[in-house]
Amino acid sequence: MVATKHHTELGAALLSAAMALPCIVSTAHAESAPEKGTLSFKYLNYKESQQTSSDALGVYGRADSKSGASAYDDRILVKATSSSLVVPLNSEWSMSGTLITDAISGASPAYHTQALSYLKDFRRAVDASVTRYLPNGTLTVGMSHSGENDYVSRAASLLATRSSENKNTTWTAGLAVNRDQINPANQIVLNETKRSSEVLLGVTQVVTMNDIVQFNMGYYKGQGYFSDPYKIYDERPRDRTQQKFQTRWNHYFNDLNATSRLAYRYYTDSWGIRSHTLDAEWVQQIGNGWSAAPAVRYYSQTAAKFYVEVDPSILPFPPSPPANAKYFSEDQRMSAFGGLTLGMKLTKQLNLDTKVDVKLEQYGQKGIWILSGNGSKGLAPFYARNLQVGITRSF
Amino acid sequence: MVSKAMPLKVHRQTFKAMGSACEVVLTSHTQKEAESMANLAIDEVLRIERKYSRYTTDSIIAKINQQAGCEAVQCDDETWALFQFASQLFDKSDGLFDITSGVLRQAWNFKKPEVPTSQKLEALLPLVGWKKVVLQEQRIALPLAGMEVDLGGFGKEYAADRAAQVLKEKGVTHGYVNLAGDMRFLGPKSTGEPWMIGIQDPRVRDQVVATLPITMGGLATSGDYERYFELNGQRYCHVLNPKTGMPVSYWRSVSVTSPATVVSGCTTTMAMLKEAEGLAFLQATGFDFFAIDHTGQVHLRHETQAALN
Amino acid sequence: MRVLAMWIFALLTLQGCSVVQTVEPWQKGNLAKPEMTFDDDPLERGYREHIYTSKEASAGGSGLGGGGCGCN
Repeated sequence: MVATKHHTELGAALLSAAMALPCIVSTAHAESAPEKGTLSFKYLNYKESQQTSSDALGVYGRADSKSGASAYDDRILVKATSSSLVVPLNSEWSMSGTLITDAISGASPAYHTQALSYLKDFRRAVDASVTRYLPNGTLTVGMSHSGENDYVSRAASLLATRSSENKNTTWTAGLAVNRDQINPANQIVLNETKRSSEVLLGVTQVVTMNDIVQFNMGYYKGQGYFSDPYKIYDERPRDRTQQKFQTRWNHYFNDLNATSRLAYRYYTDSWGIRSHTLDAEWVQQIGNGWSAAPAVRYYSQTAAKFYVEVDPSILPFPPSPPANAKYFSEDQRMSAFGGLTLGMKLTKQLNLDTKVDVKLEQYGQKGIWILSGNGSKGLAPFYARNLQVGITRSF
Repeated sequence: MVSKAMPLKVHRQTFKAMGSACEVVLTSHTQKEAESMANLAIDEVLRIERKYSRYTTDSIIAKINQQAGCEAVQCDDETWALFQFASQLFDKSDGLFDITSGVLRQAWNFKKPEVPTSQKLEALLPLVGWKKVVLQEQRIALPLAGMEVDLGGFGKEYAADRAAQVLKEKGVTHGYVNLAGDMRFLGPKSTGEPWMIGIQDPRVRDQVVATLPITMGGLATSGDYERYFELNGQRYCHVLNPKTGMPVSYWRSVSVTSPATVVSGCTTTMAMLKEAEGLAFLQATGFDFFAIDHTGQVHLRHETQAALN
Repeated sequence: MRVLAMWIFALLTLQGCSVVQTVEPWQKGNLAKPEMTFDDDPLERGYREHIYTSKEASAGGSGLGGGGCGCN
């Protein structure tokens, strides 16, 4: 007997009744390699600018600038493409690889937000990993390599996860080591290196049918060349330790068919920088495979101990570092500021195997937006917008 | 990487589930791979058993039955889909396929040859009736205390389909899942030949009355020989008519193949329940079937010849 | 260190408190939705981490860093 294909109306009715039964029941099975492989592409178009005008700089306005003129100077433009492939080899092993190419061009300040000078570079990065699935956990070994004109970075990592019997609790432990080589085009330094290692511990806990939380703790230790060779008056310590703590919470709203995603990270390091990051996203299913996700991110950091503030009396010239200072930097990134990002992501599930997404984000960074205390002054408000377009396909 | 030139070996793994002897048969390149795939399929069967059993404390069925006459119980997507399926079967069988009829078991003790009194049955019959069950917003409520739902009517068949789906997703194209006679096939033997499946003789234990060649789909059998007693030359089996509370007696056994075991299983049960009208019902489904009526006469529809012993 | 103590306290409280329910495998339908997981778009995370580490002083927190770069 062969299950006949010539069904009558009654037969077809019984079969279609059965087809309503879940074929793919989304239960959390024992950890095993994903059933399908995935191929993804994502394009990024990232454009920065800064608002250099007397109004924007306030009392720190340039003596020669026209009052009220709102000039935006271009900063960096990045066009990047990344592709990733995840292939399950069998139920116990899977492999994954990612390739990223960045084309970078535009201007970057030599100090604070002044003296923009043109640059052009090309970066290519590749990373690969292998995961072994065990009855109650996983083990992942990864390697990565990133190269550009003046900077080569190599890293290796090991990540272990372990789940409780009912898979409601998962512990994570990871270790990564990094080794970078810096050979700036201006030859200020030659063959510098930077080494670091980082440890990560985390736990993910299912709280209810609609709630899942995650706690992460990270510790980083690095030695070597941390300064920015393209910046004037930049001499940073040759070591850095960092500690980070992060909490995340996803909640599903059954009646709304939407998910809220919240995250908070506290960061502190040996350079005196402390920061808070708050992320909030709302993923709303709209129907027909569409979903819209508005997102907001607020960031606030204190300045590095060795950051040299803008001196309004000699603007636009760079202030000399304090006479007895061993370390100093006039890099905007070491200053005290707040950052706000607003973004929107649209996703469409084209069919069971294909998904496309597009995301637009606008970021602003200003000294006055700092959470508490005094933000750094005299820096042009910084803006960046990025557009991402991606496609993912399962096979 | 395993060379594709290596021959496929047949791996058979037996296990116990749902109170019966079960097995997973599949062909694979290596023993290790076969075992790990079979274990995944077995895990799925055990998951369904644990979730839908009447007896285990963490089963959703136990929770729903405990709340009979009290509160509605929230169902997850899988359970809700199974109840929707049961609803459709109830409609298509004119109320004969009723998953609330399990409560009638309390009147029948198949270990003692005793027919229950009509009073005993009349006390239980008001607790039967899928139409009385309240289904709303993915919640189920049994309105009267003592009412029960029981997925025994297609639970094993559903488990066979789900376990086979697990194997199918792992790329198995030769093999089957066998849960005490409810089987789901993933493809012929690696030689291309069909599996030769014996149909149990309903009157002689451990004897095969026919051998059916099957390559794909689900095979299920219902019969009056699994649990029964005989009294005064009359056999009383465990398949009970939900409207009268009395066992059916027209068919000795009905086997059906269809693309899904869960559909084959419901078809065999419905044919048994429809008694004399069962034959017309089996013809109307268009599925291949092999049935033996109470006189011992064989009725069948087949695409390829069934070999009769 | 005080922050670390706070985190460990929060962790232990969560583990022990009655807010945490035992969710059975068949109840995990919603948890399996991609938006309910913590890393459903790795390429987007890659871009996001890269952008923020090159414009801000903080780094990491949720995963191990991949390669670095000489970002300006």
